[in-house]
Amino acid sequence: MNKPSTRQAFLIYALLGAALLVFLAPVYLIVSSSLKPTPIMFLRPPAFVFEPTLAHYQDLFALRPFGKFIMNSLIVSLGSTAFSVFFGSIAAYAISRIRHKRMNDIAFWILSMRMFPPITVVVPYYIIFKTIGLLDTPLALILVYSTANIPLTVWLMKGFFDEVPLALEEAAAVDGHGAVSIFRRVTLPLAAPGLAVSAVFCFIFSWNEFLFAFMLTGSEAQTATVAVMSFWSSDALQWGRIMAGSFVILIPGVVFVFACQRWLARGLTMGAVK
Amino acid sequence: MSSIRLRNIVKRYGAAEAVRGIDLEVTPGEFVVLLGPSGCGKTTTLRMVAGLEDITEGDLFIGERHANLSAPKERGVAMVFQNYALYPHMSVRQNMEFALKPLRLDAAEVARRIEDTADILGLAELLERRPSQLSGGQRQRVAMGRAMVRTPQVFLFDEPLSNLDAKLRTQMRLEIRKLHNRLGATTLYVTHDQTEAMTLADRIVIMRDGHIEQVGSPEEIYAHPANVFVAGFIGSPPMNMIPVRMEGATWEADGFSLAPSPHVAGEFAEGRDLIVGVRPADVSVGAADAAGAVRARVEVVEYLGTTALLDARIGAHEMRIETPAAQRPQAGSDIGILFAESNPLHLFDAETGASLASDIATSKQEKE
Repeated sequence: MNKPSTRQAFLIYALLGAALLVFLAPVYLIVSSSLKPTPIMFLRPPAFVFEPTLAHYQDLFALRPFGKFIMNSLIVSLGSTAFSVFFGSIAAYAISRIRHKRMNDIAFWILSMRMFPPITVVVPYYIIFKTIGLLDTPLALILVYSTANIPLTVWLMKGFFDEVPLALEEAAAVDGHGAVSIFRRVTLPLAAPGLAVSAVFCFIFSWNEFLFAFMLTGSEAQTATVAVMSFWSSDALQWGRIMAGSFVILIPGVVFVFACQRWLARGLTMGAVK
Repeated sequence: MSSIRLRNIVKRYGAAEAVRGIDLEVTPGEFVVLLGPSGCGKTTTLRMVAGLEDITEGDLFIGERHANLSAPKERGVAMVFQNYALYPHMSVRQNMEFALKPLRLDAAEVARRIEDTADILGLAELLERRPSQLSGGQRQRVAMGRAMVRTPQVFLFDEPLSNLDAKLRTQMRLEIRKLHNRLGATTLYVTHDQTEAMTLADRIVIMRDGHIEQVGSPEEIYAHPANVFVAGFIGSPPMNMIPVRMEGATWEADGFSLAPSPHVAGEFAEGRDLIVGVRPADVSVGAADAAGAVRARVEVVEYLGTTALLDARIGAHEMRIETPAAQRPQAGSDIGILFAESNPLHLFDAETGASLASDIATSKQEKE
């Protein structure tokens, strides 16, 4: 590719800057609001220069066990991610490799799990988990999120496994390796970008999920998203705390994505360049 | 070292029969090449020996062991794939280590074997590189190295040179032969390239449509092809085939006639259809009006350095003729083809294509 001229470079950076502005404006609002004392929060025009306060953050952790809710979110998100990526990959491997005329039907059936609107199953889930005593436990959310995350992982990973040449597995088989060893040492490492992509999507979905967490948890297994909303009561909207909570729950997602980024960039562009 | 025995091996995919009953024995240390056009079942046969395809019918023995149902890892074979199948996420050394892992050798022995193999193949400098950092020829060597380190009972090669350019192919062909002389391992080698087959093989197995057409040493197959297919497939340029009919005391071709030699003259019934075959290099050329010559018009002359290839029209037929370059005629001139002195002439049944006799000396006479 030719090096862009100064004019082109200026245009590119101007466009990138505009896009960045659009994406980061809400984040700026969250951060600045969370640091503003309540009286100046809704000034018009907004106060760009002010003396920051950490009061909302202190309230967040003092008035509610917010640390515990964050921990709940982490357990649920990481749990569902691990569960989904593990079972999703081995299912995807089977679908990718087994030649059977009904295999496409099975793959479509798995995808169809994601087709119904989640809210239709909230009440059945509630009744089921109440009956088996899993209501208000992280396990309930892990299971529910996995029903959405496994199909996603299966379809993502199937694409990645399809790209791994069969000849490599055959070579390993002739070299004396068994099926498990081949999967673990040859196929899976070559599909590692897929694992990273799947893990990121599963984690973000689980971390951000609100509806099921709101309906299926109480005080014990409550997640951070639900906890933030609890500052929005019928008599008051505690904006400072909501903003502080929002900023805190932004952080793990960003950290997780950055941790996976090395694989992610390769994963999202794989197949684009051959 | 093991033998490989195939007894009436059949492979079916649904109703389609890819391999239709193959019998073959490869003796210990022998280099056998499966040769045939694409779709003839040669690769399927090799993959059945490797354990990568199920055997529908028949029996496979590797050594004394009945191996039909053995997993690939239990067969003691090593295979070199057409696309090399190197593990892209491992270095050259790790590729070889991975092949050795199932043998559970101690670390010193693993290192020793890898060093030895790398020395033999000239890979010592490349051990820490990834496959993506290697040239085609180097990858080919690594693929062979990965097979060699295991010191297997049997080597299987699936068109290993077909992805290399012509020069490299010639060089690697030589190296494979040298390697075989040195290791002496039982080898089954699949190719569609007759030059590879002729130069590498102790014995060649010619396949077509899922069955064996002929098995023999390169010399046997070249000199005594069992049928029209083998005769046309082996030899470059291919053998000239002239359909003739037995009429009275002569063989009538389209536009000229030949007199069969006395010792076969009485053997064929009147009206029997035959095919006379003669290799381009075996055609004897003389002056157009020489005694006993059939007149032919030279249409194209291809100069190849030491030899020249003539494309000549004789009656309704075209013949390819190889002559010493110094004696090549001009395009457009007439020459005389001396069938009586062309040796050997091959004779095939026109209906079945099977060889009837070979080395037939003929005397010829020009059609009145």
